[in-house]
Amino acid sequence: MPDSLALTRFLNHLFGGVVTSLLQMLGVHPAYPDAPITDAFALELLVAACLIAFFVVVRLTLSVEKPNPAQHIAEMVHDFTGGMADQIIGHGYEKYQAFVTCIFLFVLSNNLVGLIPGVPAPTTSPVVPLGLAIPTFLYYNYQGFRAQGPIGYLKHFAGPIWWMAWLLLPIELVSHFARIMSLTIRLYANMFASDMLTLGFFSLIPIGIPSIFLGLHAFVSVIQAFIFMLLTMIYLSLAVSHEAH
Amino acid sequence: MRKFQPVFMVLAVLCCAIPAFADSGSAAINLVPIGAGIGMALAAGLCGLGQGKATASACEALARNPGARGGLMIFLILGLALIESLTLFTLVIILLKVK
Repeated sequence: MPDSLALTRFLNHLFGGVVTSLLQMLGVHPAYPDAPITDAFALELLVAACLIAFFVVVRLTLSVEKPNPAQHIAEMVHDFTGGMADQIIGHGYEKYQAFVTCIFLFVLSNNLVGLIPGVPAPTTSPVVPLGLAIPTFLYYNYQGFRAQGPIGYLKHFAGPIWWMAWLLLPIELVSHFARIMSLTIRLYANMFASDMLTLGFFSLIPIGIPSIFLGLHAFVSVIQAFIFMLLTMIYLSLAVSHEAH
Repeated sequence: MRKFQPVFMVLAVLCCAIPAFADSGSAAINLVPIGAGIGMALAAGLCGLGQGKATASACEALARNPGARGGLMIFLILGLALIESLTLFTLVIILLKVK
C-alpha cells in the first residue's frame, strides 16, 4: 500500500471493502485490495462535494436585494461561461451552458488543489482527464444526434461529397476518437509537467524560488481549465451547427 | 587572434578525443537520456517557433484593429494550446519509453 493522504486512508477504512468487492464483480482487480481508493479519486470526491455544497449554498441564499459573496461568484462564473458559449456556439447556447460550466469548475478546482504543498493534483494522473474526456465525447455526440437527428448527424461524418464518403468516413471517425486522446493528454501532460517543474526547482533550491513556479502552476491550471471548456464548446458547436461544412 | 585559430581547433579536437579514448573498452554508453533530451529539445524549440509566429501575428492584428480583442484572445489561446499539446505529446512519449 503506497503512502496516501489522511482523507484517502479514512475513505479506504470506511468504503475500501465495498469498493473492492464491487470492482471485482465488474472484473477489475485493484492493485491494492485493502486500499482501492486512490488519492486522485478521494480528492475528486472532495472537490465534487465542495462544489455541490457551494451550489446548494448559492441556491438557498439567492436574493435580488442583498446578494451575498457566493452569489456574486456564481454570477461571475455564469456570465463568463455564458459569454464564451454565446461567442462560440451562438444562438441557443443556454442548453449546453450547464455542462460546460460543470466541466470548467471541476477541472479548475481539481487543478488548483495541486497548489497545496504535499497534495498531488488529481489531474496529474491520466485517469482523471480521461474520465472527463469520455463524458465530453459522449455528451457532444448525444447533443449532435438530438439537434440534427440520426441521419443528419451521420451525414456530418460522410463529408460534403457523397462519392468521397468511403474515404472521409474513417478519417472523420479517427479524428473524433482522437479528440478523447488529445483532451486527456493535454490536461494530464500540462499539469504533470508543471508539477514536475515545481518539484525540479524545489530539489535545486528549496527556499523561496519554487514559489514562483507555484504561481506558474496556478496560471497553467486556470488556462488549462479554460481550454478544456473552450474545446468542449467548439466540439459542441461543430456537432450541433446546422450549416453544411 | 586569427593565427591562433588552428591551435584552438586542434585543442577542441583533442578535448573531444581524450574522453573517446578513455571510454574504449568500458561498458556501452546509455543513449536513452541523450535521445530523450534531443527529442524534447526539438519539440520545445519548434513549439517555441510556432507559438512565437502565432503570438506575433496576434499582436499585429491587435495593433491594426484593437476592437477585435475578445475574439482574437480566444483563438490565440486556443491555437497556443493546440501547438503546445504537440510538445506535450512528445513529453508523454518520452515518459512512456524512458524507464
